[in-house]
Amino acid sequence: MFTPGSKYFLGLAGFSTAFMIAYIVVVDQWDGGATALAAIACAAGLLAGLSLFNRDGEVKVGDTSAAANAAPLGASLWPLIATVGVVLLAVGLITHEIVFLLGLVAIAASFIEWVVQSWSESASSDTAFNNEARGRLLHPLEFPVLAAVGLGIIIVSFSRIMLAVSRDVGAITFIVVSSAVLFVGSVFALKPNMKKTLVAGICTIGAVGIIAGGIAGASNGKRDELVEAKEEGHYSHKECGPEKNKYFDKNAEKTVSMRSNPIATIELVDGKLQARELGVEGYTQTITVPRANSSTVIFRNKSNEEHRLVLYMGTEQVQEGVTEDILTCTQMIGPDSEQALTFKLNKSSYGQEKPFAFTVPGLEGQSIEAYVP
Amino acid sequence: MTKSMRKLVASAAGLGTAAFLAGCAKDAPQDTWQPKGSNAQKIDDLQKPVFAIAGVIGLIVIAVVTYVIFRYRDRGQPIPEQTHGKPALEIGMTILPALILTGVGVFTFRTVFDLAKTSDTEMIINVTGQQWWWEYDYPVQEEFGITEPIISSGQLVMPVGTKVLLRETSRDVIHSYWIPALNGKRDAVPGRVHTLRLDADKPGIYAGQCTEFCGLSHANMRMEAVALSKEDFAAWVQNQLKPAATPADGTLAKEGEAVFLNQCVRCHQVNGLLKADGTPAIAAPDENVYSGAAPNLTHLMSRNTFAGATWDLLKKECRDNVWKATPEEFGKKYLAGVSEDCLNQIDLRRWLRNAPEMKPMYADPTKLEPTNGLYRGMPNLGLTEDDIDKLVAYLVTLK
Repeated sequence: MFTPGSKYFLGLAGFSTAFMIAYIVVVDQWDGGATALAAIACAAGLLAGLSLFNRDGEVKVGDTSAAANAAPLGASLWPLIATVGVVLLAVGLITHEIVFLLGLVAIAASFIEWVVQSWSESASSDTAFNNEARGRLLHPLEFPVLAAVGLGIIIVSFSRIMLAVSRDVGAITFIVVSSAVLFVGSVFALKPNMKKTLVAGICTIGAVGIIAGGIAGASNGKRDELVEAKEEGHYSHKECGPEKNKYFDKNAEKTVSMRSNPIATIELVDGKLQARELGVEGYTQTITVPRANSSTVIFRNKSNEEHRLVLYMGTEQVQEGVTEDILTCTQMIGPDSEQALTFKLNKSSYGQEKPFAFTVPGLEGQSIEAYVP
Repeated sequence: MTKSMRKLVASAAGLGTAAFLAGCAKDAPQDTWQPKGSNAQKIDDLQKPVFAIAGVIGLIVIAVVTYVIFRYRDRGQPIPEQTHGKPALEIGMTILPALILTGVGVFTFRTVFDLAKTSDTEMIINVTGQQWWWEYDYPVQEEFGITEPIISSGQLVMPVGTKVLLRETSRDVIHSYWIPALNGKRDAVPGRVHTLRLDADKPGIYAGQCTEFCGLSHANMRMEAVALSKEDFAAWVQNQLKPAATPADGTLAKEGEAVFLNQCVRCHQVNGLLKADGTPAIAAPDENVYSGAAPNLTHLMSRNTFAGATWDLLKKECRDNVWKATPEEFGKKYLAGVSEDCLNQIDLRRWLRNAPEMKPMYADPTKLEPTNGLYRGMPNLGLTEDDIDKLVAYLVTLK
């Protein structure tokens, strides 16, 4: 009554249901894990029904000629790959989630491929027909997945090369590789009768070269500049004293998001600090800052030396009886440069012992008050 | 015509008539067709001819379509000979609308650029939107007597005949500021500062409301612009610069001050209010409210509204007295503020008793997970009737 395929799916549905119940009992709640197991049980149940309905897609019982002429079943690598997947699952549990995910992918791929392969090999006595049946079912899945994986490997490999080499070599590499791709692509387009094996060979050589370069780049690590820049944390420059950062992105302040609608521009001109508020003609020494709202000012250094803008934002208690000033600042910027400073003042100026104010270290007696109503 | 068809036509005609008559309403404070300032006048000067042109074209199109429908309706006649293409007509029907749109576009762009101008600004007011009220702060502007920044809410007070520039932003979601009698709309967007010009020809109150859906109480996020003569505005500024008066010892208001210190000062600032140890009482709305702000109540009774300008602080007869005052009398009546006799105690007490009941504000403490336990408006403080009596007595002193 039960076909081998339906037995398999029924077993899977039963195991999934049992695991789901055990999972719910252990975890004591219905969450993503239980949902996934329930989904597997339902899917397996459905497939079991389909297998029963079409008798596993077997040729009719009694077609003895087909049975007699049937080619022997071929060997399959998928059980081996599934075993590797199980090992990766176990290793991934104690090492890294990527390994675990690779194990899952290997098991899922093996499961699908093995099931379809087993089915197709028994579909008829004609091996060519069986192969075509397998292809019709799996090629729409295999080709896009393999293409995506292949492209992903190429992209990751190329990115490793670009991160490993210096900026100048990176630029040259990019030009050379892109020119080569353009040239080879043009040749392929102009020679439509070129042998497929030659095209495949050239593409393989290119891909292998990039992958090899990527492996070499990844083993070599990123260039020193990137490693040091990451270590110094140049996107969160909390040091408002002498500039310690070496690799910060001096163009970051020129992004549209940073420069959109600053509430004021603070300029350092002739040793004097002055502010200009949006929509107001002339200069002021007090700017009004909305409370509890992210605001941006532009600091424009029109002096002949490097300077930074520092905002005093009140104090915080770091220990019992010990308070520290809360400061935020721009980086040191050179003459005729500018940088945006985004901040949020949560407290009103009312009742503050010392006013919130912008200053420039080394410039005595100059400040712009930030009044928070 | 069938019975149901007749009903449909009658309903459509009734609705159309009602809509038409609604346009004749005199008492319509948010009527876009009654400009009260030069910016709104510019819009009016543009929209009237544009509507007229569009109306005439619309009527012509409707008339032609109606004629064609009736004249050539199916009466069983044979299908006439089909023709395709009429180059002269097609070119003409392309060029004519293009010319009309170009004409409209020229005047529209001119108006848009005029309304975006900021170089002639005479006064700055910062406007910050949050769920669901507007905060106004006035930077130091010595020429208007503003020697210290002023903060207010609900009612925007401005001098008549002065080119005011609003600098709008928002603390939480996108809002939109719109006083139809004074100018068009302008969105208040978090992280950005948008400008809007306002000026008023005559003293008076001009109503508006948030026009960008901003959450549960969007419909309760209103605003009023109050235009005062320059002398009256100067008097208003002088009053706003003062700290709150301290109630006399032994009074109910003094007891109300204690309740305020216990309950309200967590979010609401009253400048000049001192704690029992003599230090200033500092509000910390950033620790309690999602937007990080709550209205400063130092001069609550100098304005006529509360809770996002949605409810009146004045009883109806007193409010009518201010709203319907002549331009000459308006300033005096407005500056009188809210007296004990005129205080709308019913709504104020309801508010203090259970604010979220009057204005939906996601005030259920069990549902504040998305905001890390912060309220989006005033919660129900569970005040006793005794506390409310005391608080009302205190609040009425904040003039």
